[in-house]
Amino acid sequence: MEELLKVENLRAGIDGKEILRGINLTVRPGEVHAIMGPNGSGKSTLSGVLAGDPRFTVNGGTATFHGVDLLSLAPEDRSHEGLFLSFQYPVEIPGVTMVNFMRAAINAKRKYFGEQPMSAADFLKMMRQKRAVVELDNKLASRSVNEGFSGGEKKRNEIFQMAVLEPRLSILDETDSGLDIDALRIVAGGVNKLKTSQNATIVITHYQRLLDYIKPDYVHILYKGRIVHTGGPELALELEEKGYDWIKQEADNEQ
Amino acid sequence: MNSDSNAFTQYLQLRGKDSAAATGVLDTLNSRAADALAAIASHPDSDIFAPDYGVNLGHLPMQADLATSFRCGVPQLNSLLAVVANDVFYPTENLHRNAPEGLYAGSIRTIPEQFADDAASMLETGISDSDAPALVNSLLLHDGVYIRVEKGVEVEKPVQIVNILNSDIPLLTPRRVLIHAMPGSRIRVLLCDHSQTPATAHLNSQIVQVKVEADASVELYDIEESSAATTRYWQLFAEQADGSHLTVNTCYLTGGKTVNTYRISCGNNTDTSLSGLVIASGTENVSNRVDLRHTGTGATSKQLFKSALFDKSRGTFKGNIYVAEGAARTDASQSCRNLLASADARMVSEPQLEIYCDDVKCSHGATTGQLDERALFYMQTRGVPVEEARNMLTQAFMADVIDNISFEVLRQRMHMLVEKRLSGATADCSSCAACHAQSTE
Repeated sequence: MEELLKVENLRAGIDGKEILRGINLTVRPGEVHAIMGPNGSGKSTLSGVLAGDPRFTVNGGTATFHGVDLLSLAPEDRSHEGLFLSFQYPVEIPGVTMVNFMRAAINAKRKYFGEQPMSAADFLKMMRQKRAVVELDNKLASRSVNEGFSGGEKKRNEIFQMAVLEPRLSILDETDSGLDIDALRIVAGGVNKLKTSQNATIVITHYQRLLDYIKPDYVHILYKGRIVHTGGPELALELEEKGYDWIKQEADNEQ
Repeated sequence: MNSDSNAFTQYLQLRGKDSAAATGVLDTLNSRAADALAAIASHPDSDIFAPDYGVNLGHLPMQADLATSFRCGVPQLNSLLAVVANDVFYPTENLHRNAPEGLYAGSIRTIPEQFADDAASMLETGISDSDAPALVNSLLLHDGVYIRVEKGVEVEKPVQIVNILNSDIPLLTPRRVLIHAMPGSRIRVLLCDHSQTPATAHLNSQIVQVKVEADASVELYDIEESSAATTRYWQLFAEQADGSHLTVNTCYLTGGKTVNTYRISCGNNTDTSLSGLVIASGTENVSNRVDLRHTGTGATSKQLFKSALFDKSRGTFKGNIYVAEGAARTDASQSCRNLLASADARMVSEPQLEIYCDDVKCSHGATTGQLDERALFYMQTRGVPVEEARNMLTQAFMADVIDNISFEVLRQRMHMLVEKRLSGATADCSSCAACHAQSTE
């Protein structure tokens, strides 16, 4: 099967400190990958580097996204090419309404592909449809981006934007953090509704709980900037039971 | 600005007795200003007045078609429109026909006899004998606008004064607007500054004098969209009687060098809202200076100034709140927030409080910073190009200043003008969105 994302020997860091020390990861259409790992292992760095977060410096390796050199693109162009990053802490943007934000995002993407801006009527109709995916209140759409949203609303808003942008690859960075069980179900339900045989999802999480709702095909364990273990869904259950110590030992012994 | 009595004498001779003017109001003002100026050695702002500018001594009108062909592009603003072309007032059919009962808006030159004394006294309002720039304006002034609302009259439509600069030679343009709101009256005035000859050096000396009588309400909006060759020296002198309301909102979109001074004195239980917005780029230089004086009790004032500075532009905010002895229960706040969009831009903020009374609530705050990098990245990950994201965030930053504009049509238009300005639309008059010249050819 064709590769949607191929990461090879990716090394990256922040402020001169190396965090990712050679990541290899291949994601194909239709797959769900979970990336787990202890605190500080580099999970959020990996998602940030793939999305183009300017705080991180890439020191080596490649990331190819459906044939495109991902690392050479500006963050907005990565988005246009079909990459979506759901933030662990979505940013509040006072004064910019959700509607204007999404209109700018949609029309920038259309411009990138040489298409005309979407008509106001079509846009509003689409917003209405996509809101339904995560049961997002209409009122939130007219408010400033994430401003005064509860933790659950912010995460739902992330999935709503994912629904609007229809990415080929979504990276969900600790989408479950700060969610109560009802919000978790709605958010996970949204992700599942958006799943097709053509797109793929990378779920970054600390807890197995989220994987009860979003079933992964592969579970990777990230430790000290490397993927040290890859398995099926049962690996997440094993981690839940035994913790990370055995993984750490195994990895440290190898070194 | 050094005094040279020979030059003044010469000027007064050249100027002659202005026989076309209905009253001697302006002659008196001119000669008194000449006397006061003679006593001033120097003034901190004298460099602004130093370059050689032509002066319209003979009260020559601009080509009428240039003036009258101007029309406002704000849809449904439906204002009572008057035009000041350079330093000459042009009556318009619109104003003549639609001015409601109880409103007078017209030239100071041809002021009706019954208002002459009032205008004469208002022309001196707030101008001290050491204020050289204001005295120069008084000396050279030969026209101006007098707006008066009678007791209890609420003027529904805004009065709009479009100030146009048009000259092929460098020109000093003395302008004056007097607004007198009688007790219980209500009026909104919109001033728009434009240059039709962006390449010509203009010095636009403009004084706005406002008297808000008891329980009256005045809202004054000012938009500057001129050119890099334009220097504007704008002074507001306002006096608020007991229980009155005053809103002043200035939006600086483009220009060269601008100095805006606001001197407001508040009576008992008055309410004052003063706000300003500055978007400057290139080598533009914009100062806002506030001197807000609380002398009465129970008065409230709110100040909000925001600047977004690009390229090598300069911004200055000097704001003082003065609370006099006995001005108990004063509630005054001042906020100055600035965005530096380039490493070469500079902002100077000098917030000041001067309080001589115990029972008051005063606050001030000044911040200067950059756009939120996390917000920019967040927007980029959703596909918004970084430049557009910057514009959206800058616009959002300005939103609360614009929201101080109470009438919706103008507020909406201001949001659009700011958006347009930020997206890099140049602002010479041919592309100006608020008003635009229609060629008569």
